[in-house]
Amino acid sequence: MCEYCGIYGEGTLWYLNPRNYGRQLYRRARPGFVPDAIAYRQERDKLWNEYFEAVADELPEAEALRQKLDKLIQANEPCQVIPLQDCFRMVELAQPVVAMSCICRKNMRAADERSPAEYTCTGLGVGMLKWERWPERYRGGVHFMSEPEAKEWFTELDKKGRMHCVMVYGSGYAGRPFIGGICNCDYPDCYEMRHRLDYNLDHHLLKSHYVAMIDFDLCNGCGICAQRCQFGALKMEGSKGRANIDLFRCFGCGLCQTGCPRGAIKLAERESIPALKEVW
Amino acid sequence: MAAPKIDIDHTKCTTPFDCKKCLQTCPQGVFWVLPVKNVKFKETDAQEPGAWKLLVQYRAMCTACDQCVAVCPVAALTVTTNNSGGKDDRAS
Repeated sequence: MCEYCGIYGEGTLWYLNPRNYGRQLYRRARPGFVPDAIAYRQERDKLWNEYFEAVADELPEAEALRQKLDKLIQANEPCQVIPLQDCFRMVELAQPVVAMSCICRKNMRAADERSPAEYTCTGLGVGMLKWERWPERYRGGVHFMSEPEAKEWFTELDKKGRMHCVMVYGSGYAGRPFIGGICNCDYPDCYEMRHRLDYNLDHHLLKSHYVAMIDFDLCNGCGICAQRCQFGALKMEGSKGRANIDLFRCFGCGLCQTGCPRGAIKLAERESIPALKEVW
Repeated sequence: MAAPKIDIDHTKCTTPFDCKKCLQTCPQGVFWVLPVKNVKFKETDAQEPGAWKLLVQYRAMCTACDQCVAVCPVAALTVTTNNSGGKDDRAS
């Protein structure tokens, strides 16, 4: 079972549990009180600077730092890959929905997204009504969207090859994470993907509840899916003249499925496949 | 081999968010830029000297390809490889 569903799901997928979008999770802090979410970030930032340097210098303490950091992230910042279909289910549940600038691309590539045409990140929930308090975070403002507009927005980003994942803020207030958005990421400009793929911080980006499966009778070997996989799980297999997916590497983001012009790729439930049940 | 060392001369690199050449050139995405001047209810000016800081965050990913050094308009970057391996050994 997905460990985040076990802790926060209460019988459903954790990111579809309405309680995780709750207003009470977004209370304003009392004066003079350092919210756990801020204390968490300070601790996390200090730890990951140490860890990244330890990896660069190949120090023996790197593994211990990795375990400590991964545990901290697991408790405070659970993130998970979701396919397009689950983005739709999330915006049906949480309002308002806004398009906004991506903090990862801002920090990693100095991208200054300032208009709806440039925005690549999605904010969810009541917190977005207070965006004006943090003009530096929301450079250029935010763009409010209706549910159909939001679905179109995700579809467009999906076409451009962006992988979606659940974005969460600190769990300091009510002992559970506050789901605040849906990222539309690509490697290497995304914190979560880099931390999982380059630094083995697995809990910063869990694999999705799905895996992609190819129907070899429908596949004609056009190779579009292979261009869309961000995780190196999908390649063209010369001997078959078809695409092939390594299911252990597949993160279940569904980009290959939405890109396939012949409908040859389906998303199967991860937990319906015995050897993948515990691969997250 | 330990990753290359990357030195940033912050007296020369003063407006990295506005310049952003190294950030966008690096094939490995090694750098970060953060606003170090945070004023409540105000956007940080991209062109104000010292308001943003360039950081080396993912140094383990650096290949010492030196493209950031080549592209820096103020010569603020220095990349040094560890001579226990890599290109220094091959040259000798």
